[in-house]
Amino acid sequence: MSRFLFLVKEALLSLRRNALIVAGAVLAVFISLSLAFGALVVNEILRINTLAWQEGVHVISFLKDPGVDGVPVDAHEALLAEVRSWEEVEEARYVDKTGAWLEYQELFASQEELLDIDPNVLPASIRIELVDIDTHAAIKSRLQQNVLVVREVTTAADSIEQLQNLSSVLNVLGLGMAVVLGLAAVVLIANTIRLAIYARRDEVSIMKLVGASNWFIRVPFLLEGMVEGVVGAALAVFAVWLGSTNLARAGSGFALFRLDVGNDWFFRWGVLFLIFGAVAGIIGSMLGLSRYLRDAESSGAEVPTGF
Amino acid sequence: MIRLENVTKVYEGGTVAAYDVSLDISKGEFVFLVGASGSGKSTLIRLMLREEPVTRGKIWVAGKDITTLPRWKIPYLRRSVGVVFQDYKLLPNKTVAENVAFALEVLGRPPSVITDQVEQVLDLVGLADKGARYPRQLSGGEQQRVSVARSFVNRPPIMLCDEPTGNLDPKTSVGLMKLLDRINRTGTTVVMATHDHAIVDAMKRRVVALEHGKVTRDEETGRYEGALK
Ligand SMILES: Nc1ncnc2c1ncn2[C@@H]1O[C@H](COP(=O)(O)OP(=O)(O)O)[C@@H](O)[C@H]1O
Ligand SMILES: [Mg+2]
Repeated sequence: MSRFLFLVKEALLSLRRNALIVAGAVLAVFISLSLAFGALVVNEILRINTLAWQEGVHVISFLKDPGVDGVPVDAHEALLAEVRSWEEVEEARYVDKTGAWLEYQELFASQEELLDIDPNVLPASIRIELVDIDTHAAIKSRLQQNVLVVREVTTAADSIEQLQNLSSVLNVLGLGMAVVLGLAAVVLIANTIRLAIYARRDEVSIMKLVGASNWFIRVPFLLEGMVEGVVGAALAVFAVWLGSTNLARAGSGFALFRLDVGNDWFFRWGVLFLIFGAVAGIIGSMLGLSRYLRDAESSGAEVPTGF
Repeated sequence: MIRLENVTKVYEGGTVAAYDVSLDISKGEFVFLVGASGSGKSTLIRLMLREEPVTRGKIWVAGKDITTLPRWKIPYLRRSVGVVFQDYKLLPNKTVAENVAFALEVLGRPPSVITDQVEQVLDLVGLADKGARYPRQLSGGEQQRVSVARSFVNRPPIMLCDEPTGNLDPKTSVGLMKLLDRINRTGTTVVMATHDHAIVDAMKRRVVALEHGKVTRDEETGRYEGALK
């Protein structure tokens, strides 16, 4: 136990001593993993929505209130019957204003400030499932022509298309940059470790002189690199989580489109990214130590040089 | 305890710092390595610590052939050999007691054992009352005693000293030699490189004289002078 505390104390002291270059290494880990994690989140949102798109409701037609502005009282029933008669339509379901309000309450159960609205502003709608989703554009424009009853038509197709573009950009550019920056981060960590060894060269040489085992000398440096990697990764996971939940909040109006990936998903991948950061840190440290490892034979008689 | 068999060391660049050196040092012996500067004294000490590999020959320390010792076992060799240098190699930001304790901490000894052994060894070197001081608050002689304490706190069977009195005035040197003599009398084998005539002549111990890396003389209870002819 005391031995472990000794090692941790040494690692923390060293981190403080090289604050600036350590900050650089952590920043590189942070940016690299943020890009990678961000790309992953966008991919996940895309996957969720593509699935929902393929399996769920394809088109929503929001309706004007009947009996107002010249909309006939039976307009909703008439439109529903018409839509059901179209051969592209697999199934059409009517959601009245009460149903819309219930759905809204469920959707924003966790955001009380949004529940404070007049339930009456929520329109009734027809939810349409298509036989073949490729007909969505035709159905949309056909519904839009009925200006008397139809208030607005939404499909998830446009958002999915935009997301597909963003995702392919992120996958190529973002992940490419993430890899380059990740390598840079490992090299920077290696440098902080070299500096740390240099700053502690007298201690290290005396440790060797009195017969400290090699792993005992290395562990504080490995811990140091690991801490750098984990801190950078934690910041990245936190930043992406923050960005993504804010985005989900801002965009939760799209009835057909989900922008949140769920906390479970975040937790699973967050832990994986932390491990990833730790591994990158350890690899960086080992790289930084590799020169020292080669010199392991010489003891304290000569101060190590050439860092 | 220490045995060198036809040891030759050629440094990169071609300097022959040891040539066909054979030595047999028994347990509990006190041996001076003497010779002019550059005669190869430090080289022999570095070879015995496996800080440098031999070019030819074999070296046994504490019963082990250290020329074929795998790297990962080198720390264990160093634990059985205490080393003292001319420049004390103390850590300036640690107190005397902390400097000595450091040697035990890095071996993972429990704190209670460390406190005990540090106290004992500081008492042995006559610095029991100066444990809380920093090295800069001590005289050169006292700093070298701390260095001896650090290398001996683990009770190694062998002590290697490379010009330990090199930075000390004659009177202080005598004090340090008394300390090394006391350590030697506990059964510890001591090998000391020096070019201090007065000390070697006064101690009347075994003398191994070196010249250009070769052993020119090896006498029980020798004097320094013979080495210079
Ligand atoms: N690391 C080294 N590389 C090359 N030559 C060395 C090295 N160390 C010592 N020498 C040379 O080896 C010879 C013996 O040196 P050394 O063992 O230090 O002698 P001493 O301790 O008796 O003064 C000298 O000529 C010295 O210049
Ligand atoms: Mg020398």
